[in-house]
Amino acid sequence: MTGLRLVAVNLLGVAEHPRLGDSPYRVDRDGRCYVPAGDGGIVLGLRLGDSAFGLAADHAAPGACLVHPDPASRHALASYACIGNQARVRTGQAAGARGVVLGQRGEEGRVIVGLAQDDLARVRPGDEVAVRACGQGLRPPGLAPEVTVLNLDPDLLGLLPVGPGGEDGAAVTVGVRMTVPSRLAGNGIGRPAVAWDLDLQLPPPGPGGDGDLLLGDLVAVTDIDARYNMGYRRGWVTVGVVGHGASPLPGHGPGITPILTGPAGTLRPRPDGAGHVGLTEAMVQLQ
Amino acid sequence: MRATTNAGRLVRQVLAGEVWPALADRHGYRVGPDGQPFLLPGMGGVTLGVHCADPATGYASDHLEPGASIRHRDAAANMALQFLTCVGNQVRVAGGPAAGAAGHVIGQHAYVLADFPEPAAANLTAGDPVTVLAVGQGLALPDHPRITVKNCDPGLLAMMPGGTRPDGRLEVHVAARVPAEAIGAGAGMVSEYANTDLMGAYQGLGEDLSLGLEGLRIGDIVALDDADHRYGRGYRPGYLTIGVISTGQCMLFGHGPGPSTLASGPSEAFWLVDDPDANLASWLHPQPEAAAAAGRESR
Repeated sequence: MTGLRLVAVNLLGVAEHPRLGDSPYRVDRDGRCYVPAGDGGIVLGLRLGDSAFGLAADHAAPGACLVHPDPASRHALASYACIGNQARVRTGQAAGARGVVLGQRGEEGRVIVGLAQDDLARVRPGDEVAVRACGQGLRPPGLAPEVTVLNLDPDLLGLLPVGPGGEDGAAVTVGVRMTVPSRLAGNGIGRPAVAWDLDLQLPPPGPGGDGDLLLGDLVAVTDIDARYNMGYRRGWVTVGVVGHGASPLPGHGPGITPILTGPAGTLRPRPDGAGHVGLTEAMVQLQ
Repeated sequence: MRATTNAGRLVRQVLAGEVWPALADRHGYRVGPDGQPFLLPGMGGVTLGVHCADPATGYASDHLEPGASIRHRDAAANMALQFLTCVGNQVRVAGGPAAGAAGHVIGQHAYVLADFPEPAAANLTAGDPVTVLAVGQGLALPDHPRITVKNCDPGLLAMMPGGTRPDGRLEVHVAARVPAEAIGAGAGMVSEYANTDLMGAYQGLGEDLSLGLEGLRIGDIVALDDADHRYGRGYRPGYLTIGVISTGQCMLFGHGPGPSTLASGPSEAFWLVDDPDANLASWLHPQPEAAAAAGRESR
């Protein structure tokens, strides 16, 4: 779709209330029961730059999860909203407050919106939040055409640690916290990459913080193709932004929203280790 | 030596379901690995001509469900049907032109999947009621406490070769071994429901998509490396999961032939024997001549 202009659409999201079944318990990967705090809804005190493993929580996201009561509208919200899109609270005590899309979650579909903590504390489940969705279909000039961009606001790409490579066929380089093999990819495989996140079955960090992952970090997954559905393709790389924290559930873990996917020869992750800076609050003016 | 079980203490429950229609939406097409649009049959209804021991792949099909796909109309009753039904359970058609025909459960796929002899399947269609004699959840192997068994009819376990070895391991015969890279959709879901799609079995769709799994057959017993299905489906190095291939060919990317879970535990608790005959057809679906002979004997 090179040469075609993007459109922006105003979508309506509703701040989610967490939902549970008749039993409060879920079963973790070791067979222990737990109550899943923080799985959807509005989570206070969790911000970009915090550890994805820092809370006794399940899939906790830094801000408010937006949903829509109509399932098809909800899928559209999750599919069209892109990281970096602007959001605005329309009703309730926080009316007028500004937010930014930080990621997405799959299954029925959720959009994760970050707000300043003072604003977030005034958001109530059921409050309406408008999202100015723009980014799907983005084909940045100068980016190698083999690399597909998705789930990314057009204004955000230039702020992330992405070296576009240019049109002379040079590889696109991306600074990442870590590179993860595809066998650690869990929930999200086989699902559409525009509407789901990909959970990574990573172990918690070691005593010295080794292997820690921060919300907002960029992570590369080898041998995963995320152009359409996410799945195994040898020699391919997908890079995503960590949008929510760890989960006790088997097959789940910190989730990345895919933003770049392409052949390994053209999309080259550069592990920055401890010096990595991914998506930050300053970048999206949430401070 | 046959593994000791608690089979005598399991209950058998009569469950009801009906053959569920194939479902589609008005847009029709779904998307393949390279963005190819496709519209192919396979899920729901009664899929004919593919039975245990037949190749799982090589069909113009998506999420091929051999035989009848069964659900219950009530949402909660349906979950009971899906969770409590086990591989090897007997299914009997309770109405319609195929009434009385008997088949066996071969797996779960958000439907209970039942394989019937082709002549019976040919007379079966969506809406026909079926009865499932559910038994198996709670099955345990006291001599193998680290192994969790699920979704497995005790009668099936008794027919499968292998058992408790002198070194204390559980011997299991498998037709194929599956690397952790193949685990596709289904990761993160509970292991008493649906199955684990295996990637890398897209026959004819490119070398970079292959994990060497194109030879799988419906009904094959397989071993999944580094998979822990005791409390759901997750990656855990050093664990092993035994499953049975209950669904076949997929075009949808990230999906593929799928094993329903039968057992899971630490790798060292198992002793695997590679055996091409490790297929449900060897034990549950005798050839027509053998079935006829068995019928004469019972009369």
